[in-house]
Amino acid sequence: MKTVIKTSDLSKVYTNIAVPVHALKNVNLEFREGEFTAIVGPSGSGKTTFLNVIGGLDKPTDGHVVIDGVDIATMKESKLFDFRLRHIGFVFQAYNLIPVLTAVENVSFIMLLQNQPKKEMERRAKEMLEQVGLSDKLDVRPSKLSGGQQQRVAVARALASRPDFVLADEPTANLDTESAFNLLDIMARLNKEENITLIFSTHDQRVIDRARRVITLVDGAVDKDEHFERD
Amino acid sequence: MKTLTKISWRNIWRNRTRTLIIITALVLGIMGGVFSAALRLAAEEQQFEDAIENMISHIQIHHPEFLANPEARHRIPDGMDLKQELTQRDGIKTVSARTVMDGMAASANMNTGVRIKGVDKKAEASITKLDELIVEGTYFTEDWRLPSVIIGRALARELLVDVGSRIVLTFQDIDGGIISASFRVEALYAVTSRRFEERTVFVTANVLNELVGENTAVTEIAILLDNVDDYREVTKELRETYPGLEIRHWADMDPALHYALEVLDQLLIWLVGIIILGVSFGLLNTILMSILERVRELGVLLAVGMKRIRVFAMVVLETTMISIIGGVTGLILSFFMIRILNNRGVNIPGGEGLEDFGFSAVLYPSLDTVFYFEIGVLVILFAILASIYPAWKAIRLAPAESVRAE
Repeated sequence: MKTVIKTSDLSKVYTNIAVPVHALKNVNLEFREGEFTAIVGPSGSGKTTFLNVIGGLDKPTDGHVVIDGVDIATMKESKLFDFRLRHIGFVFQAYNLIPVLTAVENVSFIMLLQNQPKKEMERRAKEMLEQVGLSDKLDVRPSKLSGGQQQRVAVARALASRPDFVLADEPTANLDTESAFNLLDIMARLNKEENITLIFSTHDQRVIDRARRVITLVDGAVDKDEHFERD
Repeated sequence: MKTLTKISWRNIWRNRTRTLIIITALVLGIMGGVFSAALRLAAEEQQFEDAIENMISHIQIHHPEFLANPEARHRIPDGMDLKQELTQRDGIKTVSARTVMDGMAASANMNTGVRIKGVDKKAEASITKLDELIVEGTYFTEDWRLPSVIIGRALARELLVDVGSRIVLTFQDIDGGIISASFRVEALYAVTSRRFEERTVFVTANVLNELVGENTAVTEIAILLDNVDDYREVTKELRETYPGLEIRHWADMDPALHYALEVLDQLLIWLVGIIILGVSFGLLNTILMSILERVRELGVLLAVGMKRIRVFAMVVLETTMISIIGGVTGLILSFFMIRILNNRGVNIPGGEGLEDFGFSAVLYPSLDTVFYFEIGVLVILFAILASIYPAWKAIRLAPAESVRAE
């Protein structure tokens, strides 16, 4: 399987505070196509920083992040915008949909920024909403959807543009058990069907139990990297 | 762009109350600005018509000694020929040759100092519209035994006379001798300046010239220009052509009014400026608030790869939309407001006092279409300027932190 992301000697030090914090220490990891990975660890272990750095939202202090043969650690900010748009999907803890757009418009949004043809974009957005079980909510705005439904729209948005991988930061943290399981089922199915690499940061045991790979970070360093056989 | 416009449009209606408040502020600001501008123009135009054009004209020519001693002996050499010459000149609309002198007006009850103007009744009607200023009586049409005099309403009150009354005018002839002659009051005129009404009487030039002893005497030539804005330039040219004569424009003749108009001009420019600035800051505050409320959402847009320039454009577009809605509504309402006020007139508080300085107590505001357009453009321009800071704030957000903002 093709390597999607490779990090080497990845370090991140926050120096804009009184005592410098080493959020990541020499992280060397490789993620392959189609993997379903959970990044776990206690608060402050560097999960979010790791996702930010491999998602191009933050720059590492040292080391490399190679995606599709390109090291984004040294990439200019203006180019990073375009890179994120074309290669990375994001799912956030607080759903973060655009409140003034309907479900279908939210799902189309990234494809729209990518200048995809309108018809194809609409077809794909509807298909994705169908996949996440929201074909009856196409024209509904986020404020009229439940938390679980909003997060499903967010997943559809992240996957619709067929990114190289999707980063999900605590996607189930705000959901009740039923919604969380529902979302995980959908993500696991899409992971298989669309062969999309999914990387979660999470505390949630329900997510950890579904992941085929679990990476544990402690104080910014990789403590464990375990692989599991799941259905 | 279509999606950006759609998002911007929906964004401005997310907080309907706040948007409506700022639109109302814009509408009121524009109405205030338009009202001020219209009032300024009305003041300028009406003062010109009332105080300048109806009383002293744009440019006057005299003998150099005349201003110190306004007597018939200080007349303009070959005044009638000069009048003909000036009539042919480009940029000059009308020329009136007058015999003007200071003298006394006496009734059976009172007497007072006056300026006597001997005029050509046709030329004067076209230059100062004296015939239209008559409020009682007729304009040099009576064929009485005594010659006619037209006096100001205020002078009539002072002398306790009315239309048909007899008054005696005393003045000097061309040799400096004293002459007294009886006249019958044919009409009373009214202008905005009470001082002018009290001080100026009109008789026909041929009657006055006969009395002073020279049929073609001209002591004053009054000129109306095609375009009043050329007054300085034309005055300069005339001074070069006729160096031996005293040539003054309206601002020289009535510096108080000129100064008052300039002060009014400045005040109203400041007023309009302050209104537009105030509204712009209101708009800036509203947009800034909406940006600070949307930090997480803007962070998401930046995180998923929406370029900073597009986020910037979105914020500017939101402000522009608000300013267009407020601007167009404000201009439409202003248009109707000015139309109504133009019909009804605007009373200036304490206007009676202003009349002493040649200002009308009632103004009739009006505006050219181009002014509405200019104010509209100005408001939108300031709104766009006001949006730059919030838009800058929006694009400086760090996506990694913003997406987790509370």
